[in-house]
Amino acid sequence: MRRVIIGLSAAGVSAVETLREGDPQSEIVAIADESLIYSRPLLSYYLATKLEMPRLLYRPSDFFERNRLTTVFTRATRIDPQNQRVYLENGGVESYDQLLIATGARPRFPRAAGLEKKGVFGLRRIEDVHGMFERLPSVKRAVILGAGLVGLKAAAALREHDVEVTILVGSRHVLSQMLDEPSARVYEEIFRRHGVSIVTGVKPAAVLGNGEVSGVETADGQVFPCDLVVVGKGVDPNMELVSDTRINTEYGIVVDKYCETSVPNVFAAGDVAQAPDIIRGETWINALWPCAVEQGRIAALNMLGREISYRGSMRMNSVQFFNLPVISAGLAVLTPGPLGARPGEHDETLEERPSESVYRKVFLKDDTIVGFVQIGEVGTAGLLKVLMERRLNIAGIKSNLLSPRLNLGFLLPLLEENRDRFDEVEFQELMDSVGV
Amino acid sequence: MERLYCDGRLCVACHACEVACAVEHSSSRNILSVISTGEFAFPRRLVQGVGESPYRPRVGGVALSLGCQHCSPAACVDACISGAMHKEGGATVCDTEQCVGCWMCVMACPFDAITPLKTAWKCDLCPNRVELSGRARYACVEACPTEALRTAGCESVTDNRQPVTGNR
Ligand SMILES: Cc1cc2nc3c(=O)[nH]c(=O)nc-3n(C[C@H](O)[C@H](O)[C@H](O)COP(=O)(O)OP(=O)(O)OC[C@H]3O[C@@H](n4cnc5c(N)ncnc54)[C@H](O)[C@@H]3O)c2cc1C
Ligand code: SF4
Ligand code: SF4
Repeated sequence: MRRVIIGLSAAGVSAVETLREGDPQSEIVAIADESLIYSRPLLSYYLATKLEMPRLLYRPSDFFERNRLTTVFTRATRIDPQNQRVYLENGGVESYDQLLIATGARPRFPRAAGLEKKGVFGLRRIEDVHGMFERLPSVKRAVILGAGLVGLKAAAALREHDVEVTILVGSRHVLSQMLDEPSARVYEEIFRRHGVSIVTGVKPAAVLGNGEVSGVETADGQVFPCDLVVVGKGVDPNMELVSDTRINTEYGIVVDKYCETSVPNVFAAGDVAQAPDIIRGETWINALWPCAVEQGRIAALNMLGREISYRGSMRMNSVQFFNLPVISAGLAVLTPGPLGARPGEHDETLEERPSESVYRKVFLKDDTIVGFVQIGEVGTAGLLKVLMERRLNIAGIKSNLLSPRLNLGFLLPLLEENRDRFDEVEFQELMDSVGV
Repeated sequence: MERLYCDGRLCVACHACEVACAVEHSSSRNILSVISTGEFAFPRRLVQGVGESPYRPRVGGVALSLGCQHCSPAACVDACISGAMHKEGGATVCDTEQCVGCWMCVMACPFDAITPLKTAWKCDLCPNRVELSGRARYACVEACPTEALRTAGCESVTDNRQPVTGNR
């Protein structure tokens, strides 16, 4: 058995470890165009100089030997599923019995002129940060295109270097894929207080400059002078290598609950995969670290023949900006958009704002949670998540859902009533052992 | 794999386990010092009323001492963006030097077992307690006066279940 994995990040690493644990013998080959295993979400901490390079490396340095992994550090350019082969940029060809595509995603660049100029960066790979470091000593002003999670992380990180930062946002407010307008306003306030200007409702038309960035011009003719541009507007899946194959794609590579593509023995996981989504009831890309790790493991287990089906992914993210934490999960955005809820997907919201920087909101549909946002106090997020993920009817406990003191003890009777949805041994044992 | 369980029929919500846990994870590991110097101490398991409104004080009712289930696979480990949350043998442990306080794990844990303090704060199954202090394996189990808290492996929990009179 020869198993080939393309891409060695969250999904790929998790798959390698699962495969090696489940099958000590057979060959595992990883094709990757990055030779370092590092955490992408930590890149903004690295850019902010809050941590040093070694802390980005989330696996011990003997990862390759320990997992007896054969590595080929180059790009895969094409897959031939008929003959079970992967073609490589370096001219090589790898044949496989089973293939996992874990090629992730890349920053989505807007349609604007001049994006190839020196000083325009995404924030996705370690080279991006090193490129910015090189430039930073001569940077006074930066413009961030897009106010997605990565855009805001970049903005906050650049403030640590005393760079003047302006964020240009196409939508009406920041984090439009993660927060609704009132929640987003809390953050806009904080960013402004930390010296970041936010301009909403503008589209970039061109990056100005003579080879080197000197500014950004918007579609309505405003000019923002700057020496650095960071694009932070969301991501596109790296799925070009399956074009011209029978592997089914839509927004990403479509996989079933076994993380298998439409072609047998070809699996996909992580940011490149469009996998079943629990809340939406259809396949969706949730380009998030936990989803990539879990899908990598599910794919690997099925490659091992275990027939483990995936409960499905769910959008859920937790971040802090200027020490104010926010967690947003499920359909937490009312404004229509690729990630927002569509009409009819919510029928009730519970909401509370006990203080300036504490905000909680739960979105319901037919008395089940379909999304929530917590700002400031996030301690009960895990419980809301489990109620949402297991689709429990919360009609009887609505008045307690926003409580910062919500706890597992309180929820246990409800969980017990729905015991069939908690098949994990940890839940079963807990319910058995309490003796009530 | 070892987990800690609480028998709801025996727990009297005295919070002794919380105190013992907080002390065990303080830097002095000494209750007198914790009280007199006000050094940082915070429990990694919490006593909770079963089915009771979090706003209503407990009168009668059933209580449980709850903490990490040391899941496998563990949702918190999957979610951790820094590699801080990891498995050590059967235990799920947070390397606080590596933790960046992003609270991905808090959001992921279905057992409400992680407290967002400066870093992720959770049960670590008292590593090296016997070696360090010569005392019993787990601080909370040792402290429980009714023997409601006990340990059990995956298979033995159901056997232990019938007449639970605190066999530990
Ligand atoms: C700055 C930043 C902050 C983030 N913060 C969070 C957060 O707080 N929480 C969260 O959940 N998620 C966060 N994310 C998202 C998270 O990093 C991704 O969801 C995760 O990395 C996806 O993992 P993956 O393995 O699917 O793909 P990737 O991490 O994208 O890795 C894919 C790998 O495959 C390689 N590759 C691609 N194509 C080829 C090819 N043809 N041949 C060979 N190799 C190839 C790539 O170079 C890369 O190494 C953040 C991302 C960034 C950039
Ligand atoms: S912290 Fe939560 S998810 Fe992690 S092992 Fe413990 S109970 Fe499981
Ligand atoms: S808070 Fe710490 S342990 Fe938890 S996910 Fe973030 S880095 Fe990992």
